Amino acid sequence: MIGIAIPLAAKLLFLAPVAAILFGFFVMRPLKPEWTHWPILLSCAIVTASSFYLAARVLGLYGITGGSFDKDVLHWAAAGKWAVDFGLRVDGPGVAVLTMVSLVGSLIHVYAAAYMKGDPGFSRFFLVFHLFFLAMIGLLTANNYVQLYLFWELVGVASYLLIGFWFHKESARKAALKAFMTNRVGDFGFMLALFFILSTFNISHFNVIYVKLALTQQQGGIPVLLPTIGALLIWAACAKSAQFPLYFWLPDAMEGPTPTSALMHAATMVTAGVFLLVRSWPLISAVPSLPPVVAGIGAFTAIFSAIIAATKKDLKRILAYSTVSHLGIMMLALGLNHVALAIFHLVVHGFFKAVLFLCAGNVGHAIHKPTANVDEVGGWRKALPWTYACFLIAALSLSGVYPFGGFFSKDAIMDVAWENGGLIRCASVLISFGSAFYIFRMFFLTFHGDRPEQQGLKAHPHEAGAEFVAPIFLIALGAAAIGFAAPYVQELVLAGWRGLPTSVASISGVLNLAGSPTIPELGWRDLFGRSGLMAALGFGSAYYLTMVDASWDWRWRRNHPRLEAFFESDFLWKTFVGLIADFTGAFAGFCGRVLDKCWWDGAIEGSAGAAHGASEALAGYSAGRLNDYLWWMAAGAALLLGAVLR
Amino acid sequence: MTLIAVVLAGAVAAGFAGVMLFSRSLYVSAVCLLVVLLQTGLIFLLRGAALLGFLQVMVYAGAVMVLVVITIMATGGEPQEGFSRFADFSFPRWLAVSGLIAAACEVALTMYLGGASTAPVAPADPSMAAGFSTALFSSYALATEAVTLLMFLAALAVLPDKEAA
Amino acid sequence: MTSVVWVVTGLLFAAGLAMVVLRRQLLAMLLGVELMLAAVNVALVHHAGLFSDAQAMAAVAIVIAIAAAEAVVGLSLILRVLRAGRGVDAGGLSELRG
Repeated sequence: MIGIAIPLAAKLLFLAPVAAILFGFFVMRPLKPEWTHWPILLSCAIVTASSFYLAARVLGLYGITGGSFDKDVLHWAAAGKWAVDFGLRVDGPGVAVLTMVSLVGSLIHVYAAAYMKGDPGFSRFFLVFHLFFLAMIGLLTANNYVQLYLFWELVGVASYLLIGFWFHKESARKAALKAFMTNRVGDFGFMLALFFILSTFNISHFNVIYVKLALTQQQGGIPVLLPTIGALLIWAACAKSAQFPLYFWLPDAMEGPTPTSALMHAATMVTAGVFLLVRSWPLISAVPSLPPVVAGIGAFTAIFSAIIAATKKDLKRILAYSTVSHLGIMMLALGLNHVALAIFHLVVHGFFKAVLFLCAGNVGHAIHKPTANVDEVGGWRKALPWTYACFLIAALSLSGVYPFGGFFSKDAIMDVAWENGGLIRCASVLISFGSAFYIFRMFFLTFHGDRPEQQGLKAHPHEAGAEFVAPIFLIALGAAAIGFAAPYVQELVLAGWRGLPTSVASISGVLNLAGSPTIPELGWRDLFGRSGLMAALGFGSAYYLTMVDASWDWRWRRNHPRLEAFFESDFLWKTFVGLIADFTGAFAGFCGRVLDKCWWDGAIEGSAGAAHGASEALAGYSAGRLNDYLWWMAAGAALLLGAVLR
Repeated sequence: MTLIAVVLAGAVAAGFAGVMLFSRSLYVSAVCLLVVLLQTGLIFLLRGAALLGFLQVMVYAGAVMVLVVITIMATGGEPQEGFSRFADFSFPRWLAVSGLIAAACEVALTMYLGGASTAPVAPADPSMAAGFSTALFSSYALATEAVTLLMFLAALAVLPDKEAA
Repeated sequence: MTSVVWVVTGLLFAAGLAMVVLRRQLLAMLLGVELMLAAVNVALVHHAGLFSDAQAMAAVAIVIAIAAAEAVVGLSLILRVLRAGRGVDAGGLSELRG
């Protein structure tokens, strides 16, 4: 591994974004801010091309040799036997996600150039957006936990900056802080896990950890701290990937501009948690009790957020809960030990969710607002035809209908879950139904029908220009076609290392994930199977409740306001979290006011007072009073005499 | 016999020392000191050092105390109104007194436990006077000369100087 | 006898020490010093007789002489202090001046 040279493509992955950001910040921003996006778009193109090249290299396509590699580049902050190393790990799972991130990300950059035009923070937006892009690349190609943690945090910082982009709005500021704080809670778990990993394995590099763990497992048993490490990593993933206890930041994160929501909170950043679990899967799967926990969290979150998504009125919030739900589905797949399937769904989800968000952005743009409410739209299928078509493709993909991507990934997951049995089986049925229901409810409310409660048709919307629609259309094509990429993803994830020394390869059950199951193959006949049936049921109920019984959606809200409040608070979970936040805030206030100001500062100032008092008291002994001196002389002499005479 | 005399002399001396300590008037203190010195002279005599007793009375009780009394007269020894005998300390006075008493007791205790010499009392040796004189002017001759010089210089100290400008 | 002498010496010495430390007037302090010296002489004379040490007696004579000289010097200092207008009170003499 030492002698491998880093291919140019891998270097460009980093150099292009860094150069674009620096150039944009130091040259374009002061001189011509409205052109900041040009170097950045160029960098996006370079990164996309490089990532596809690297994918081909890992797969060995087109005669490109070299395969995967893992190489340390920089040795930094060395302390004793370990250091903070920067390295590049280009292997199957990483490059699979990287290609999706770069392609979808680049197209969203193009969309953002049109969407953010005229905004006074245009330049700042693009620079931070690209910084996020760079951080995501760094996260996906990190070769050790410390580096991954570093880029993980950087992604969180970029998220904070972008959610709070329109910082003059208080809701945006609060949402940004909420996102950052919640991620911080998860990051704390990651940090603890990192410390435990370092203390257990003495190194944080993935390849070494995998080998050490495999050796330990061969001798029977696992390291003592491994369950703790696994649990903490799952906690961290729950925060970043918005799973049940720590998901509530994601709906509020919709305060950011639509390109942010599309890229970060749909396709890429939130998948970092799943990616962390994939990288750590050898560790987590070594503990028998942890994968069911992952699956359980995923399934619960998926159902829970699907139900809430069906009750929301803001378009972007529906999509946010949908993202949470699909991340739950990814976790479910992972928990059932289907790593390749989880990554495949991650890739597919990235495509169709990005399309859905960008379409919602178009809808909002048509009424000149950052986001749209279902009360403000309706029957717009003729007014926004392209958006309508792309949305339909993405919705069909999400529900898992045959030729589109979601069919191959989501329905495969549902099948695997069905085979698992028990509660997971029920969950899979409910998820299939729920996801179809909420997305088609949104579809019908936005693009079909003119209901009396909506003011949509009075608004005279029109389709946005080609620069808005073209990127969406391209991503939608991807969402449609990506399903057929399943074999490539599977090959990427499961083939493992090529060119590995045989001595290491022989213990490679853990190392290569080769023992992990393959992606189930589905054919068009499966459309009429279980998942297809549930999807059709969802579609039908959504149609009935929005088009046939048109006012149902408004009636239950008006007739049961307490029920609506119950849903609004996410089944009271947000209330509970609010209580915790209040308590923590009060505690922090107590620490600051009482502990710090009164006690600690008081003690320090009191010590000054004490010193002052002591010196004043002792000053009497040097006042020059003759009798005092004489007394002390007599006393001292007596003591000396006593000592001498003894 | 001498024991009783010594005890008597010692008791008188101690008594007058106490009076001296507590008297308000410096004149009274000076006179009491004079008495004490006379008693010590007597003790010297009783212990067989006649010459020393003579010296003690002549030098001390005679010359020194006179000078002291003259100085008291010059500085005013009668107490004025609101006049305090004892000084103020930076710590309470009872602490000072008890400290002194404790120091004295500690030394006394040490000496008692360490064993003061319990050699039997020998009668005074009359030939000691000769030995004493010899010692004064042979071994201690230098010391004697130095003391003489010192006394002369001390006399200079009382020379009047110009009034401070 | 010896113990009597020690007791007498101790009492006189303690009285002298108390005079020096506790009294306010400088002259009273001087009287105390003289008393201390006298007390010590008592003990020295007794032990000189005890051990038939003539040189110890010579020492006593020296001490008497020196005590006298020192009393004179002390008295003249007190007079100086008085003439400098600072009073004969130890309380006022807490700084070196003049």
